[in-house]
Amino acid sequence: MVEEARYLYSIAKTGQKEHLGEIGIEKKAVYTVPCEDIAAVVHSCEPKPYDTKDKTQAEEWIFEHSYVIDQATKRFGSVLPFSFDVILPGDDSQIEGWLGRNYKLLLGELKGVEGKAEYTIQIYYDYDDLQSKALFGNPELKDMQSQMETESKGKAYLLSKKLNQRLKELVSSEEGRLANKYLPRIHGQVDKLIIDGKRSWIPEDCRDMKLLASYSCLVREENVERLGEILDEINSQDGFRVRFTGPWAPFSFVKLGELA
Amino acid sequence: MKPERESSLVEVLDRLLDRGAVLNADLIISVAGVPLIGLSLRAMLASMETMLEYGVMEAWDKSSREWYARQETKLLLDGDETILFKAFGYLWQEEGIIGAWVPGVWNITSRRVLLWQRSPGKVVFERPLPDLYVQRANASSPEREELELIFPEGSAKIRLSERLEFEEALAGRQRSMVAVEV
Repeated sequence: MVEEARYLYSIAKTGQKEHLGEIGIEKKAVYTVPCEDIAAVVHSCEPKPYDTKDKTQAEEWIFEHSYVIDQATKRFGSVLPFSFDVILPGDDSQIEGWLGRNYKLLLGELKGVEGKAEYTIQIYYDYDDLQSKALFGNPELKDMQSQMETESKGKAYLLSKKLNQRLKELVSSEEGRLANKYLPRIHGQVDKLIIDGKRSWIPEDCRDMKLLASYSCLVREENVERLGEILDEINSQDGFRVRFTGPWAPFSFVKLGELA
Repeated sequence: MKPERESSLVEVLDRLLDRGAVLNADLIISVAGVPLIGLSLRAMLASMETMLEYGVMEAWDKSSREWYARQETKLLLDGDETILFKAFGYLWQEEGIIGAWVPGVWNITSRRVLLWQRSPGKVVFERPLPDLYVQRANASSPEREELELIFPEGSAKIRLSERLEFEEALAGRQRSMVAVEV
């Protein structure tokens, strides 16, 4: 059984052992463990995960983790952020060895995010408008509606399920068409783009609207302004609303699946 | 427009729990086969569905199945009720903004369909067999084997690896029930 472990916040581009202060989860002292010109940003902990049933406590930890990543980014430039509660067994020398074994991969990933940050773009659209257009402009759906009236209760129920499904499909294909109209323009200003899955969470000011598209983008510092201008154009159209958040550490763009 | 750096909890959670680098399960310390990555915490705060898309969580999925298998509670059946089909699976449950796949064992008995959690030993979902339809759901990802159970009060999204067997067992039982009633 290992006796100590290190909580991993991020990998940063520095060759120095540095102390970032007692800014970690539960005020733990955060420091770097370097290996050549890269370093792991860690705190020393017991070999067990942070776990609680207290929601407030959990949220506090999450914000503390996030804060350390922001501080490391300010100090060292773009970092490779780790997910919450990633803990490696061993002491500093074992962490250094682990960095050494993965040096090439980590350095490559760090170079890939240098001078860039992650931004989220969400485009919202008036859903009711889209749905009524889909329903009234489609003869197939109208047929299904009239067929329902003559069927038995059970079959009519299944048919109504099918109708709703078909309506959903139509609306989503229309959504796709609208989203794809803007995608190439956004694409022109970003280095990498991930289409995020639809999320159930919608911010307060967009409650009456439907999420049309959600992207996570890796953007060079010098392109952020131009990207903002394009989003402005979309945002100013009737029935549209755009959310543009960031800069975030490149959470969606670190691929460390090959770590040894 | 200028990007806003909102410190809204949801935005931060989304990144810290569902994104960011994770490590292979065999690198992370574990206790009795359960990888140490704050599992109940994630379950509480984030969507289980997203997590299962990561390799690490697959490992957890496996170890949680094993853990469930070790628990010794017993499903209580009514008098002459018998179990016709049993398979590990999930039920989709939504609570406010958080949705999660709730794991358990799907049982088709001579009377009902139910999702049983051996630990803590409770029936999470149950519906009588007559008036129950099953259809393939439009799965959020094609490799997932999602089904929709439709009953008079509504419907439920479920998932299990032995989908075909489940459908057959359900249809078979319903046919025999109709035959008895006639």
